[in-house]
Amino acid sequence: MPPMTDPALTITDVVAGYGGVLALRGVSLAVQPGTITAVLGANGAGKTTLLATISGFVRPREGRISLDGTDLTRRRPEEIARAGLAHVPEGQGVITELTVEENLRLGALSRHGRASRAEALTDAFRRFPLLAAARGRSAATLSGGERQILVIARALMARPRVLLLDEPSLGLAPKMVAQVMALIRQLRDEAGLTVLLVEQNARSALAIANQGIVLNLGRVVAAADAAELAADVGLRQHYLGF
Amino acid sequence: MREFIQFTLGGISFGMVYAAIGLSLVLIWRGTRILNYAQGTMAMLTTYVAFTVIGHTGSYWAGFTTALAAGLVLGALIERTVIRPVENKPPLNAVVVTIGVLVFLEGVAGIIYGGQYRSFPAAFSITGLHAGSLALGISLNDCFVAGAVLVAALGLAVLFRYTPAGLRLRAAAFNAYASRLLGVRVGRVLTLGWALAGLIGALAGVLVSPATFLYPASMDSIFVLGFTAAVIGGLDSPVGAVAGGLILGVALNYVGGYLGPNLEPIFGLAALILVLMVRPSGLFGTLVARQV
Repeated sequence: MPPMTDPALTITDVVAGYGGVLALRGVSLAVQPGTITAVLGANGAGKTTLLATISGFVRPREGRISLDGTDLTRRRPEEIARAGLAHVPEGQGVITELTVEENLRLGALSRHGRASRAEALTDAFRRFPLLAAARGRSAATLSGGERQILVIARALMARPRVLLLDEPSLGLAPKMVAQVMALIRQLRDEAGLTVLLVEQNARSALAIANQGIVLNLGRVVAAADAAELAADVGLRQHYLGF
Repeated sequence: MREFIQFTLGGISFGMVYAAIGLSLVLIWRGTRILNYAQGTMAMLTTYVAFTVIGHTGSYWAGFTTALAAGLVLGALIERTVIRPVENKPPLNAVVVTIGVLVFLEGVAGIIYGGQYRSFPAAFSITGLHAGSLALGISLNDCFVAGAVLVAALGLAVLFRYTPAGLRLRAAAFNAYASRLLGVRVGRVLTLGWALAGLIGALAGVLVSPATFLYPASMDSIFVLGFTAAVIGGLDSPVGAVAGGLILGVALNYVGGYLGPNLEPIFGLAALILVLMVRPSGLFGTLVARQV
């Protein structure tokens, strides 16, 4: 057992939904700093709603969400982002009308000072040479995998305390999935990034995650170390599909 | 040939006014997908502000500057108070609200200033310029009008292309959701867009009023032609709005010059209908599909 520290992100008894439908029925979760927590479950389990609730696009009806002890519950999405929480949405996140570099610059705009923004851009180009090579190109010209790397790189421009990733492997070729997962692991190991990773691809996600939770119909049905979840045959057959 | 040169040059200064109104409409359309029917009326009101300031101070430039500042404030104020509640609502709501603002502001202007036509001063001489013995059909003030709009358009282009505020404006217009996830305060950005539109509109108002007189409905026909300019340009293209304004200004001056000035308004409206029928995405527009 690693020593328990104060969690970076704490979700307590969150209930949320759309209209008369509850997508989250009392979800609690604590994400330790410098770790990857996988959120698994079938379609409709509430994974994406959980992320949308954390980042402020869905208002929780009950419960509390806090980032490093600061209450974020019911704050606006842009204020939550500025508080240090970066949400990389599924698909659609790249602003295709802007260039690659403009997308990255946009990510750094919540940081103060020209020098700090320029430094973030230099760092991003150093870490992601493929983005440096494409910096002046329209983001619309990137492939699916390149776009996924761009949105992750863009989210990192603000130096977030917690990164939320929604289905980063969706629609990518297996080779690209492996690359994206390796990147997420590398960001944790080298930069100490805290990640909440939503994935349908449970096998890939558990391979890099420290902990995981399994959602089913808006409730947490399992929460344990990633290795433990991956070893649970019943859980795998019922909820994870591998 | 001499007439052709005169009509062409003469059309440019009016065309640049249409371009300015078109540009202000494009700014708002890109940010909020709202067509601001009150844009011309807002420009009328800020021109009255300039009129008052010039009357009190005797300085054209004091009035000019105040009008631009008033446009900035009026644009922001209208967005914050009456437009904010109809953003992301059915389009008809915004249509009703902006027409409501139009009627309201014309009423306010009528109450404060009365309905009579007032002459508004020009910045520079309105005596026709000559090249040797050839009358060019334009005055020094016409050159100022064209130059001022050109400077404003270039200023906007630089703002959009090279500044953080410009990047936020573009990003929020293209993808408000992703922008908010990155911490862009989209609400403030939209207010800034309306403020800039108010400023450009105010510029058009003070530039055109020496030629049209100033009265509560004085900007109505200018608005329609500015809208036509924006539509020719594709409604979401700033470059298109300027090009559309120039094309329209010059074309209408040919109509007025060769066929008679009474036909200008009809041809202006005909151009609007023609563009909407034949090429609804305009010459520079990026709109590829329309919802039915």
